[in-house]
Amino acid sequence: MNIYLLILLVLSALCAIFSLTQHFQMLQQNSYFPSRYFGWLRQSYNKALLVDAIFYFIITAFYLLKFFRIGCVAAFIILFFKLRKSRDIQKTSIKPLVFTDRIKRMYVIVILLFALLIGIYAKFPTTVVARIAITLCLLLGFITIALTFAVWGITLPIEKRISKYYIDDAVKILKSRPDLKIVGITGSYGKTTTKFILTRILSEKFNVVCTPLSYNTPMGVVKTIRTLLKPQTQIFVCEMGAKNIGDIEEICNIANPNFGLITSVGPQHLETFKTVDNVFNTKFELANAVKQNGGTLFVNGDSKEIISRIKDEYVTYGTNKKFDFCGENLSYGRDGSQFTIKLGGEKVKFSTKLLGLHSIIDIIGAVSLAFTLGVPVSDIQFAVASLKPAEHRLELKPFQNGSLLIDDAYNSNPEGCLEAVRVLGSFEGMKKVIVTPGLVELGDKEYEYNYALGKEAAKNCDIIILVGKNRSKPMQDAVKDSNFNPLGLYVVSSFKEAMSVYSQLADNNTVVLFENDLPDNYLY
Amino acid sequence: MKINVAFVYGCRSVEHEVSIISAVQAMRSVDRNKYKITPIYVTKNGEMYTGEDLFEIENYRNLPELLKKCRKVYLTRENDNVLVKSVEKKLFKNEKDIAIDVAFPVVHGTNCEDGTIQGLFEFLNIPYVGCDIVSSAVGMDKAIFKDVLKTAKLPVLDCICIYSKEYVADKNAAVKKIEKEIGFPLIVKPVNLGSSVGITKVNSKEELDNAMMLAFSFTDRVLLEHAINNLREINCSVVGDSDHCEASVCEEPIANDEILSYQDKYLGGGKQQGGSKGMASLGRKIPAELSKSKEKEIRDLACKVFKAIGANGVVRIDFMIDVDTDTVYANEINTIPGSLAFYLWEATGINYTALLDQLIELAFKRARARDNITYTIDTNILSGVSFGSKGSKGAKM
Repeated sequence: MNIYLLILLVLSALCAIFSLTQHFQMLQQNSYFPSRYFGWLRQSYNKALLVDAIFYFIITAFYLLKFFRIGCVAAFIILFFKLRKSRDIQKTSIKPLVFTDRIKRMYVIVILLFALLIGIYAKFPTTVVARIAITLCLLLGFITIALTFAVWGITLPIEKRISKYYIDDAVKILKSRPDLKIVGITGSYGKTTTKFILTRILSEKFNVVCTPLSYNTPMGVVKTIRTLLKPQTQIFVCEMGAKNIGDIEEICNIANPNFGLITSVGPQHLETFKTVDNVFNTKFELANAVKQNGGTLFVNGDSKEIISRIKDEYVTYGTNKKFDFCGENLSYGRDGSQFTIKLGGEKVKFSTKLLGLHSIIDIIGAVSLAFTLGVPVSDIQFAVASLKPAEHRLELKPFQNGSLLIDDAYNSNPEGCLEAVRVLGSFEGMKKVIVTPGLVELGDKEYEYNYALGKEAAKNCDIIILVGKNRSKPMQDAVKDSNFNPLGLYVVSSFKEAMSVYSQLADNNTVVLFENDLPDNYLY
Repeated sequence: MKINVAFVYGCRSVEHEVSIISAVQAMRSVDRNKYKITPIYVTKNGEMYTGEDLFEIENYRNLPELLKKCRKVYLTRENDNVLVKSVEKKLFKNEKDIAIDVAFPVVHGTNCEDGTIQGLFEFLNIPYVGCDIVSSAVGMDKAIFKDVLKTAKLPVLDCICIYSKEYVADKNAAVKKIEKEIGFPLIVKPVNLGSSVGITKVNSKEELDNAMMLAFSFTDRVLLEHAINNLREINCSVVGDSDHCEASVCEEPIANDEILSYQDKYLGGGKQQGGSKGMASLGRKIPAELSKSKEKEIRDLACKVFKAIGANGVVRIDFMIDVDTDTVYANEINTIPGSLAFYLWEATGINYTALLDQLIELAFKRARARDNITYTIDTNILSGVSFGSKGSKGAKM
């Protein structure tokens, strides 16, 4: 046994363990689907794969030439880089690797695997088996993609058994609660918001539990059922997400909903769904489940992809009088949004801090379901009035000189920005101001989207303040091409400057929209 | 899966035994199809016990024997559950932690009913039956209760309060003040005790000192109010919360003495039958003989008092009628009334089981309303702050 070779093997094992951080992170964020993980690899791992291969060949070359000491030094240097990379990933990613039990089990398998290979070498250093072990150890140590697939494959049967146990347990819990009402919510957009609004309204009358945050996978639902459901719970609101055909059916087989709500169907996750028809069919797997339980399904009639594909077998909601539940007379003002919904033959007035047609439609959906489940109208009104907007998402708040601020600083979706400008436009009788740097990172469509935003702003605003002289060029063009009073257009170079312009013209009849990508601390 | 209700009772209080009677009565009346019960008996020195033997009232005659059969426990929160856990883990006994869903305090008097035990439940963040901390505390302190009602423009008798040190330091001055502001006959009460403990009617200056000293043996602050000569006592129970509440029929207790004493309330008549049966066995007229309009006046007033202190669950409010002037005064409130005032609700047409069910539902309702108000901010503000000592700019706090 050569001690330097042994060290080389240990170092290669350590390299493997630290380079796994990124792979496990990606595997975890792709819900442990090797196909999706592979998709990520293909997109962004070409270079890294090449580097891995180069490392492997260097080390293997040293091993074959029996330059074990130099091999050790090389492996040590590689390890240093792997360590740094791993640390950076955990520090700077939006979603770092979470050390769940499953990830821990995978690490244990990796360590056992390397211990076995190194053990074989240490025990029988001169045999052919040892040579195979060494080769495998170096291969897995530096070609980490291979290692990741290997570990995934080894742990798969264990994981399947564990998750089956949890799923069976959750199903058993729900079976013991025949009185529990279960509401499934799905849709391409708006399902999380609708879930929280519905839960808030239902909680006026019932003990409600919903899947927390944006938990919407089978295991997320299972965890909610096993930990948050209490004996006193009367309604379980379950968000259901889908990236593939059959996903909703899988969750329905666990949660077994007797009410359903589909917020929208749109061209989302087309890389896996291919067509909008497939998205529609997947979302409507919820319809089948609800039907089997003799329940009611609510669908958003304003979603074109839904209404064009259904007959009148479902309860519809939205902003069209033809629908079973229809929101009307929407107006915006200092107190937020006002609108009416016909409930049980009577026009009921609602008021909320939430702005924007999307939020209002989400509310209409939640109200129609809550009303059907028996929450009194006055309680629904109160709950809707106490809804709070998410931070920096069309958030209405008091601002300088008694003016009103619509804070939409976190919005970077082109459609959403246009809607925000329209919301601003509907503050009738007030001086309407927009402060925005425009949209970025939209590739070759960037000019087009910004031009459209500029046009919409010119149509809806009295004052336009653009931040960044070059950056806002497309919006400047659009405003100049429109019939907009040039005196109302300000192009400034910083947000600070924008604020000093604004404070000159703000009064208690002014409403200002902060649109996209403004500094967090602009209020100070 | 049944809802597990923890009945908490006993406690460090002069009304310890009354609480046991009320709790055992209640536990026997709960709908066992819907609820599971975990009795948590709190001894006079504040230790908690649970066990099957606690359901039987006869077992309480021999307390040391009873406690030997029970397990000593404590309440704690772990993740999403509030658990009843054994204080000592026994090696070969499988004593599982019990997860409880709602707490039901059936305690009377200071150190528990006055917001103390409610504070424990708030701290554990578990839904609980009855008044919250503030309304319990206001309900317990007779002087503050009167102040709150006065502010709400509800009728109460005027009173003065005296601290024990103040009284002992200069009895003459105190007596002079009492004579001037209240006059005889008068009533002396400790400000914070229930069940008529320490209350005396004083007809003359000579009787005053004994009455004061008796009251001071229970508390350090005493309340004095004018005694109504021609008095009727009327009690009325209220169930509900700030959204909606209802008043029961009225009762008129029949006193042996001029004021219902502790003896009357809880021990009266019990001796012959070989065991006290609590408030339910007290001599009383239900419904009280009142004119329709007077009854309505009292029931309306009861609901107003209930809302004025922000009560929740079931309470009993004691009124006084000055027969000579036909005026009604709110006298005191019991935020956890003896026997939970079930006898008044049975007379109103709601049986005890249904009443208990309603009380537990109210507990969940309040918990939901509180969940809907944000108390904590999910992101940790401290996580983005550097506490550097070298004059770093990060820590602007």
